[in-house]
Amino acid sequence: MRKYSTAIFVVVALLVALGLDFALPVVIRDGSIRQLVMLVACNVVVALSLNVINGMAGQFSIGHAGFLSLGAYTSAVLSANMHEWLGGGDTTFGKSFIVVPVCLIASAIVGGAFGFIVGLPSLRLKGDYLAIVTLGFAEIVRLVIGTAQVQNSAGQEQGGWLHGLGAAISNLGGQNGYMGPRGEGLPLYAGPFWILGIAVLAGVAAWRLKFSGWGRALRALREDEIAAAAVGVDPTRYKVTSFVIAAVGGAVAGGMIAQMRDGSYLVNPETYNFSASFDAITMVILGGSGSVSGAILGAVFVTVSVKAIELLQNTSVAQLIQGPHMIGTFELKVDLNALRMIVYAIVLIALMIRRPEGLFGEREIGHKKPAPPTPAPVAA
Amino acid sequence: MSKLVLDHVSKSFGGLRAVLDVSFTVNEKCIFGLIGPNGAGKTTVFNLITGVYKQDTGSIKFGDTDLLPKKPAEIAAVGVARTFQNIRLFGQLTVIENLLVACELQKSAHLGSALFRTKAHYDDDEAMNKRALELLDVFEMREMADEDSTSLSYGNQRRLEIARAMMLKPKLLLLDEPAAGMNYGEAEGLKTQIRWLRDTFELAVVLVEHNMQVVMGVCEDIHVLDHGETISHGDPEHVRADPAVIAAYLGEPDEDELTQGASADAR
Repeated sequence: MRKYSTAIFVVVALLVALGLDFALPVVIRDGSIRQLVMLVACNVVVALSLNVINGMAGQFSIGHAGFLSLGAYTSAVLSANMHEWLGGGDTTFGKSFIVVPVCLIASAIVGGAFGFIVGLPSLRLKGDYLAIVTLGFAEIVRLVIGTAQVQNSAGQEQGGWLHGLGAAISNLGGQNGYMGPRGEGLPLYAGPFWILGIAVLAGVAAWRLKFSGWGRALRALREDEIAAAAVGVDPTRYKVTSFVIAAVGGAVAGGMIAQMRDGSYLVNPETYNFSASFDAITMVILGGSGSVSGAILGAVFVTVSVKAIELLQNTSVAQLIQGPHMIGTFELKVDLNALRMIVYAIVLIALMIRRPEGLFGEREIGHKKPAPPTPAPVAA
Repeated sequence: MSKLVLDHVSKSFGGLRAVLDVSFTVNEKCIFGLIGPNGAGKTTVFNLITGVYKQDTGSIKFGDTDLLPKKPAEIAAVGVARTFQNIRLFGQLTVIENLLVACELQKSAHLGSALFRTKAHYDDDEAMNKRALELLDVFEMREMADEDSTSLSYGNQRRLEIARAMMLKPKLLLLDEPAAGMNYGEAEGLKTQIRWLRDTFELAVVLVEHNMQVVMGVCEDIHVLDHGETISHGDPEHVRADPAVIAAYLGEPDEDELTQGASADAR
């Protein structure tokens, strides 16, 4: 029975997600709260995927937003075009079974390919040096999408793959964001069934990865690379694979956000700036690097706190904090969203001093170490 | 045939010649001692055999396999296991997990089957757990299976390292100063364990060790290095009596000092 418990859990969870696909708009009338629920699920996937690199593999990536961005754009471009091929109209639940899987698989492939490329330096670089590489990658993605332009001077010969690539990227709308080929806004196919369902599957996958020989080998590599190699764990294979897995997760999460029902009708490169990477790191570190349940709770906390601050903006207390405050002749206004980043930073610093392993460390909710099997008779 | 053959192996780090033209052969099921004063290049030789470093010249073969192009994990796969001078355990992992990491090579199930939990995954898990527990029994550490490896005593950490190496089912076991920090009784026990490992698992053992009680008591063939060069080779009796070895360990007697010592005695 225990062997099938995960399968039963997944089936029940998917059925609940299926029910919510229809029931959520009735149960939660406020669109922004529905968006919050879905965003929590997307961010759970973000945190779980980053946890593979930053937690289990012990590498330090601060450019996860780059993978999210690639996934979001891939998914947005594909879904918008597929929507047209399917004749436009409403984004029905039936059509989502064609659009969502195709788009998310494409996001996963693109993310995985870039994860492989970014993962290669991890073989030679560690710690801050690797962090800079990942940050550079995310910034390159953001800036290329935001600024790509193709100028066609008179008399200049056109063509070539670079020109084609530049033209394709410049069609993504630059700083204004991408809203589909006609600029009418993206079709939002992914309802709670897809978003919550994928989050559940990601949770199960992360759990299984951690509690498998593969996860154990990755943790061993984190502890001591030379010793791990001496017992047959190939650092190249495991490190690059961990980057690819994390990148696939990040890109799928980005793809989910781009298609999320009640979400935004556009994808914008600025959504995936350093602050998005920092949020992802906060989720992982807060919950406990290497802990699956910690990453999930971290994702819930960070996403909800962002929303809570947004909701608080209009309350009298928040307005009191926001100001303007007059200090002599100086007028001071407090940006609550900026304040959130300061609070996160303080919380993280305090956590690093008091509890560097995060709230859970590597522990999991509801997981005990399995008792060793009955002793086998040994002739020593 | 799984002989280890080092043939004119040299390795330099910048201007430092760590290993210079070293050749020796470790026969099957032999307990082989690699000794020398501190800085002689013993651990470097281990690192060359296991692929942590690559030699500048010469060849290292295990059986028919040339180890030069192989990565450390691939060398482990051909049956060469090692321990480290400074204990290198996986600190955040439990005792049994430390052993299970060494199973990755022998598993039929990999990433996909771990995700989908196929029958191969469960079969592997069961077989590996069984083998790990058997080895923990052998090293009398079974009751510590679920303890964090860092919480073990120094001696137990050393034994866990050997147990972890044995998980690879090696044909050649490289032990780097296993008796470090052991008292007389523990060192005697180690000698028995090394012989037992060799006889039971039919493997060759290369021992880097400063404890002469262990080296002379257990090794059948000994190779002596000093400043990266071979200064002696032979059975324990030969090596023990070799003036070059005595000089390397105790230093060359200085003639002036000897004269001064003699005149002081005369006074």
